[in-house]
Amino acid sequence: MSFHIEVITILLNGLQQGAIYVLLAVGLSIILGTLKFVNFAHGALYLIGTYAGLLLALDVNLTSGLLAEWGYGQLGLGLGYIPALFLVPVVVFVVGLAMERLVVEPFKNRPDTDQILVTFGLAIIVQELFRAMFGSGSLPFSQPTWAQGAPSVPFLSAIPISQWRYYVIGITAVLVLIVYLLVEYTDFGLVVRAGTRDPEMVELLGIRLSRPYLLVFGIGAALAGVAGVVGGPLNPVNPTIGNEILVPAFLTVVIGGVGSIAGAVLGGTLFGITQAILVSTYSAWAQVGLYAIAAIVLLLRPQGLLGEEEVAP
Amino acid sequence: MSLLEVDSIDAYYGESHILRDLSLTVEEGEICALLGRNGAGKTTTLRSISGAKPPTVEEGTVQFKGDDITGMHADDVAMQGISLVPEERRVFANLTVAENLEIADVSRNASNTWRRRLTSTGQSMSTDQVYDDFPRLRERKTQIAGTLSGGEQQMLAIARALKQSTDLLLLDEPYEGLAPQIVDDVESAIERINDQGVTILLVEQNAAAAINIADRAYVVDQGATVFRGSADELRADEQTREQYLGV
Ligand SMILES: Nc1ncnc2c1ncn2[C@@H]1O[C@H](COP(=O)(O)OP(=O)(O)OP(=O)(O)O)[C@@H](O)[C@H]1O
Ligand SMILES: [Mg+2]
Repeated sequence: MSFHIEVITILLNGLQQGAIYVLLAVGLSIILGTLKFVNFAHGALYLIGTYAGLLLALDVNLTSGLLAEWGYGQLGLGLGYIPALFLVPVVVFVVGLAMERLVVEPFKNRPDTDQILVTFGLAIIVQELFRAMFGSGSLPFSQPTWAQGAPSVPFLSAIPISQWRYYVIGITAVLVLIVYLLVEYTDFGLVVRAGTRDPEMVELLGIRLSRPYLLVFGIGAALAGVAGVVGGPLNPVNPTIGNEILVPAFLTVVIGGVGSIAGAVLGGTLFGITQAILVSTYSAWAQVGLYAIAAIVLLLRPQGLLGEEEVAP
Repeated sequence: MSLLEVDSIDAYYGESHILRDLSLTVEEGEICALLGRNGAGKTTTLRSISGAKPPTVEEGTVQFKGDDITGMHADDVAMQGISLVPEERRVFANLTVAENLEIADVSRNASNTWRRRLTSTGQSMSTDQVYDDFPRLRERKTQIAGTLSGGEQQMLAIARALKQSTDLLLLDEPYEGLAPQIVDDVESAIERINDQGVTILLVEQNAAAAINIADRAYVVDQGATVFRGSADELRADEQTREQYLGV
């Protein structure tokens, strides 16, 4: 493979991996910025998105876990990938709404440490529940046959990257743009931005924040679900993927700047590309690279790349 | 019936008992001043009226237009027609001037699913009206509110409150930190708003300036009312002024 093709391949792989981080980080970041809630169960939403996507898109043959023992080894609706792409965000949005009401709302005014404990506990419960039900082994979730090869357009066809990866990048770009427009140009977004700064003042203007907050959490959850369903076919699918992706997702938020959508995009892309470069050069250092970047960014800019400097309210 | 009747309220921040059996009334159409030195309980009184928490009101009632609004959620109180310009202005520093005004319309905007029931009969000013009242704000529409001067932020906070449906405007130290020239501007804005039919409860450290435009005044000390009367009576009452206001 010629050098420039190799470089482009690495960059595109990095963009695609970064897109998954971006989808998770945008949700985490607006939830942290707006609700001031630290959600360590965000990875669980990713996990749910992946499994929901798998079971909606394909017929699955389970070989271990309680479902198999109970005789439900043949599972899955087999609706295909496209319906799954539309249904998963809806499913995870609803899961998110329930979570906001049952977990976030009661713990919203508690210290960060309480929020971390309760959401991390929840994440582990979800993980173990999935392990019990579906077994700990990896389940086959392949890319759809129609998206496996390189796209048959001039130039890109020479680059060994499947169409699915381009779709991941494209879907992420569209969704992040939609969220950005919502936040910048609607009344909902105006309330969210003002509430980020001074929630009490917003309520004094006659606006009850619990409803926009619920929606913010639902949107963040739906984005994590999308990350799960588009990322599922690119990685092994097993019950630990949710908690494994939590750390890079949080690091993305922190280096991008809490509450900043553009920061999440920048941070996620930076991480994705760094990781892709390291994987193809010094692959043992791929994870370490993320921490190194995070440490350097935070040393130079504690508020993150695009975060606002902390100002007294 | 008075527009606002605060009847023997006791308010607490957690365990600490701040307002003790405090009563006051505000009549429709007037400017009523609420005076007292630092820590007397003026802000606590306004927060108790507007539903901001803390404090919690554990005894007594707050009635507005004859309805009991004690302990009501702040957004519901706002929808009854009470607007607060809080201490230190609290403009949304990350939004533009225009957005700061726009957000006051959101609660009334029928297309919003989180709309509250509006029971206020008060008038709300259009953006054009508040810009006419505060031309400086019109010039600075697109400026980020955090970069406005103190006086401009005060104008913006008042303008924002007027964009709500307002029957009663609660002003918490609107002159604080302003140069004398700007105090005059804000003062004439307050009088103009009052002429347009908005009732005003004015909290001030600057007692002289407040008495200047008020019809009536209350003085609070250690969470209790120690004087009530007309502005002229307070002007004549040297002992109260010296003991509680230091003027
Ligand atoms: N959040 C709070 N928690 C505990 N105590 C408080 C709180 N806010 C105010 N207090 C106390 O309540 C008392 C009354 O405070 P308040 O803010 O109402 O005074 P004020 O009359 O507005 O004073 P100033 O003119 O300085 O603004 C003070 O003793 C203050 O320390
Ligand atoms: Mg005060």
